[in-house]
Amino acid sequence: MIYYEPNVHSLPEGSDSASRMALAAKKLGYSGIIISNHTSSGRPFGLDAAGLVAGIEVAIGSEITASDQRSLHARAASLRERADFIAVHGGDEKINRAACEDPNVDLLAHPHRGRSGIGVAAARAARDNQVAIALDLSPMIRLRGAGRVRWMEAVKRDMGVIEKFDLNIMITTGARSHLDLRSPRDLVAMAGLLGLERDRAVEALALPKTILDLNRRRWTSVGVELL
Amino acid sequence: MRSWLPVLRNRRRYIAFELEAEGRVRGGDLMAEIRAAQTSLFGDLGAANNRLRMITFDGRFGLLRCHHTRTEECRALLATVSSVVGARAAIRVRGISGSIKAATEKYIPQSTLQPDENKRRVDLGPVSGSVVRVIGREIDLCPDDRKMTEGSGTRYVGLTSFDLCGEDIDADGTSDGL
Repeated sequence: MIYYEPNVHSLPEGSDSASRMALAAKKLGYSGIIISNHTSSGRPFGLDAAGLVAGIEVAIGSEITASDQRSLHARAASLRERADFIAVHGGDEKINRAACEDPNVDLLAHPHRGRSGIGVAAARAARDNQVAIALDLSPMIRLRGAGRVRWMEAVKRDMGVIEKFDLNIMITTGARSHLDLRSPRDLVAMAGLLGLERDRAVEALALPKTILDLNRRRWTSVGVELL
Repeated sequence: MRSWLPVLRNRRRYIAFELEAEGRVRGGDLMAEIRAAQTSLFGDLGAANNRLRMITFDGRFGLLRCHHTRTEECRALLATVSSVVGARAAIRVRGISGSIKAATEKYIPQSTLQPDENKRRVDLGPVSGSVVRVIGREIDLCPDDRKMTEGSGTRYVGLTSFDLCGEDIDADGTSDGL
């Protein structure tokens, strides 16, 4: 099975270079990672070196930070041509909704940060626009006690919505260091505690590869793909 | 201890794991952290069902025992450990087996590379600092600029030999660019 980690932050945003992340992910059993640093941070360090790590694919994506809906749509449209993978820095109710309504967006990252989530309207939009929802497990790893309880409540509530609208999901840890990465089997076990079935979790871990392949198709003109 | 009827004996699974940490970790501290994470995640009732015990731990590799139906829960529990006594750490499950012998032979390597203690410097434009340890191709760097690791909660910057010397790498993975 092919597993991808879709939301990794490398130097200068995290504390590890892209190649260290790739090496750590390879050891854990991933087939690829997507480096998606925020648009507000600088160019990732050592991307050429990451290509030298054998046996793992390192894709470059981007995570959009936006303060309002209009700038989000503008940035997504301008990045679409350049980036293989576009994520949105979620966590705010308005931004979550706007990201779900934008067909240029591939992934809504950590929508449950700050106790908000995706509502029914956003879920319906995400289904129509094929936007995947990230199940970011970093609060489960890093938080303890009341904070984690609130996060779990928000996630469990949204699990029902995701199930009902049959939304695409991706499982990630939003890693900023190699110590934040977890192996695919660990992620499946953790998602199981949150009520996600095993088959669905395995599917979610393989989804980033499918999306990357779709984004990398080259079109010579409308409806004509270059093979 | 009183002997138990074979049919009544609890079946067990042994989890072989590897600890990645930013400093030296003692077995007692690690187990205290795992117990705290366990109580936080499952409560006292669930923790009692796991029947988690530490069998061995040598600073890097270790063996835990748990109830045979609770391996997935234990895997999730070990994944939630993010630091031990203030230092960032991660537990990697290497495999699960039904006996101590099989778990040790299959999943715990008998000879391991010792961390390199030499202090060497790295200067790469935006990233500079002194090398803390080298394991294979992985290099941990103590950065001169403390702000570099803000936000991720780690002490060190993680690099590889690929970052330092591009394509000139020895076959055994030792790095020449240091």
